[in-house]
Amino acid sequence: MSDEAAAPPPIDRRMLEALVCPMTHAPLTYDAEAQELICKAAHLAYPIRGGIPIMLEAEARKLD
Amino acid sequence: MGETPNSGPETPDATTHFGDRMVAEADKAGLVEGVFSSVASRYDVMNDVMSLGIHRVWKDAMMDWLAPRNGQRLLDVAGGTGDIAFRFLRRAPAAEAVVCDMTAAMLEEGQRRAEAAQLADRLTWVVGDAMALPFEDRSFDIYTISFGIRNVTRIEAALAEAFRVLKPGGRLMVLEFSQLPNDGLQRLYDLYSFNVIPRMGKAIAGDRDSYQYLVESIRRFPDQDRFADMIRAAGFEQVKYRNLSMGIAALHSGWKL
Repeated sequence: MSDEAAAPPPIDRRMLEALVCPMTHAPLTYDAEAQELICKAAHLAYPIRGGIPIMLEAEARKLD
Repeated sequence: MGETPNSGPETPDATTHFGDRMVAEADKAGLVEGVFSSVASRYDVMNDVMSLGIHRVWKDAMMDWLAPRNGQRLLDVAGGTGDIAFRFLRRAPAAEAVVCDMTAAMLEEGQRRAEAAQLADRLTWVVGDAMALPFEDRSFDIYTISFGIRNVTRIEAALAEAFRVLKPGGRLMVLEFSQLPNDGLQRLYDLYSFNVIPRMGKAIAGDRDSYQYLVESIRRFPDQDRFADMIRAAGFEQVKYRNLSMGIAALHSGWKL
């Protein structure tokens, strides 16, 4: 539909699909705007910084 | 386990030299990330100095045994600045690699390397913990960890994760400092490592404590046969090792069959 988002550094889609939550091994949802990878099962949002996913529980934001 | 950790007090020579710079056993695990964050940009230079340049020969020996093939997907854990992944991808121009490290600063340094740009379409960088990998079961052909496993808090947990993410038929290869087979040589090497390396760390990286930690962790890591047993206990088969430079380092190989 619209153009690809221009702001954040490009993230390799294939790589995102290959990642799972390190706690639950569940698949993740990519939030391009927040630059986060979300695990609904663990209620955690893993940040992506400078194009690098930070897949550490200690660095993840807890979701309510 | 079972054995007294071989840190400061058990090595009288080193204790007098480093005195209150010794790091408490309990604090070490937490300090590992600090070690690598603080040395990231000079890490490869420091490796050169620590091993007198020989770590490059060892990494090439690792690639010789691994024999990378096109189509393979490599996971290099504790892959830091990309050394192993770059070698792997250069030998197999249609292979892919994921570099996973606890320390974002190391990965950022790796991304800045020229090789990283040339190989960018086949390389990905992920911050993750060797004991809780963010990858699906059975998703890699090769798992490597080079000078990283001795920094993992629970080695068994890291090996279990390696087994999990490898495909059936996949291979584990570990490059790590090891033990010399002869007491006299080991003593000489200890003298060098405990006396010279932390000083070089201070001179080159301005960071004596980090290199002090590195030396201690090398001495405490299980010897070749004990480590091979740990790999077997994780489920790997056909476990073999090769000594490098008489056992200063060793390569361990195992297959998930």
